[in-house]
Amino acid sequence: MANYSTSQFKNGLKLMLGGNPCSIISNEIRKPGKGQASNRVKLKDLITGKILDKTFKSGESLEGADVMELDLQYIYNDGNTWNFMDPNSFEQYAIDDATIGDARGYLVEQDMCVVTLWNNNPIAVAPPNHVVLEVVDTDPGLKGDSASTGGKPATMNTGIVVQVPLFINIGDKIRVDTRTNEYTSRA
Amino acid sequence: MNTQAELKKHHQLIKKIRRFFDNQGLIEVQTRHLLDYPTTDVYIDSIKTQVNKAFKPELKYLHTSPELEMKKLLANGSGDIYQICQVFRDNEQGQHNFNEFMILEYYRLGFNIHALMDDITNLLKTLGFNQPTTRLSYAQAFKKFAHIDILNTDFDKLKKIAKSHDLYADFEWIEDLQILLFTDLCEPKLKTLPLCFIYDYPKNQSALANTQGQIAHRFEMYLWGIEVANGYEELQHANDYQNCFKHDIDKRATLGKPLVEMDKDFLSVLQKPLPQCSGVAVGIERLALNLLK
Repeated sequence: MANYSTSQFKNGLKLMLGGNPCSIISNEIRKPGKGQASNRVKLKDLITGKILDKTFKSGESLEGADVMELDLQYIYNDGNTWNFMDPNSFEQYAIDDATIGDARGYLVEQDMCVVTLWNNNPIAVAPPNHVVLEVVDTDPGLKGDSASTGGKPATMNTGIVVQVPLFINIGDKIRVDTRTNEYTSRA
Repeated sequence: MNTQAELKKHHQLIKKIRRFFDNQGLIEVQTRHLLDYPTTDVYIDSIKTQVNKAFKPELKYLHTSPELEMKKLLANGSGDIYQICQVFRDNEQGQHNFNEFMILEYYRLGFNIHALMDDITNLLKTLGFNQPTTRLSYAQAFKKFAHIDILNTDFDKLKKIAKSHDLYADFEWIEDLQILLFTDLCEPKLKTLPLCFIYDYPKNQSALANTQGQIAHRFEMYLWGIEVANGYEELQHANDYQNCFKHDIDKRATLGKPLVEMDKDFLSVLQKPLPQCSGVAVGIERLALNLLK
């Protein structure tokens, strides 16, 4: 993989740091009145998800990380792995529980997800911003209540719990924002 | 383009600055912007230009600071002086750095850096700044923010510390490593302080300031973590300047930067030494942006 010097740093550039691939979130150049310039860089560790603050001497260079983002379709879970397919090449990727992480609560068969590959191995899965899930358990609904005050917890078919309005019943399909785990509407 | 309101605001700021100095009897001066010699400063590059192409081509350099020209006046007995002018620097990069910016530079005879810090604080007050002031020596800042005894940590030990913070450590000069550590470990902590002076730098970061034992009588002024001013208790003798210029020129050569010549005219004027004085350069745009945050 090529090396990148600080003058080539830009948001979204993927670099190796501490053995993990990282993505640049922001890059601030600091040039003191007296003394050499440096780059203050915010990066996201793509494996741990941690945000790192790093200072580099200007001119320093880092190894690039072979990171790719692919749009893959989630097709099924076979009990051990989560299986995705590239709809163009039909190539399949089996992804383990640890890599799926919190995305597991939002994976709906046939949905397109963004899968991050590092050296061709999946390291992260991002579900769509909105997914449609089915309510499998919640307290009985209250007739006549529209989307008013309060709410109640409801368990989805994927196992996660979402706060929903009182009128939602078991069997209802709802739209959930995967970034905030919030109910947005009936589907 | 600036709106009329912005123009008026800037005009008022400059007028207030002038009044502050005029009331104390300083003389406002204008020195040449087009010079025969580039700066020797290792990390500042002069913009060069060719003049008189039609008959006698010559290289000239836009001034990066009015410092040396003003010091010639001081050596000639000008007394307290100030200047507000545009300066020009090549290869500037960063959110707060530009190829052209405005500087206020002034010199006070008989002042040490503490008297000068008091004076700038008063200037800021007359410009409407009324927040608490912090003064930390360079050593105190390193102790407080990074738990490092910066004046008594040798180069090898400092390299180990840098590595433990995942920082580049393969430097040839200790001052470059000190500056990187300061940028990484101390400077971010200054963001919460409205006005902070960092003073008494390690001797190897003396630039053109007087030294005493391990330290150089220099300060930097930060507004909300942004470096706005740089002040020195000035060197007085030509041979001290010559040594500094030579050190910078050698360092530039080692770093593969364009070679520069030292200003011989300056050194010959300084045969009559500078009076004991302190001087400071203030970035006007940065001051205006951060003064009344």
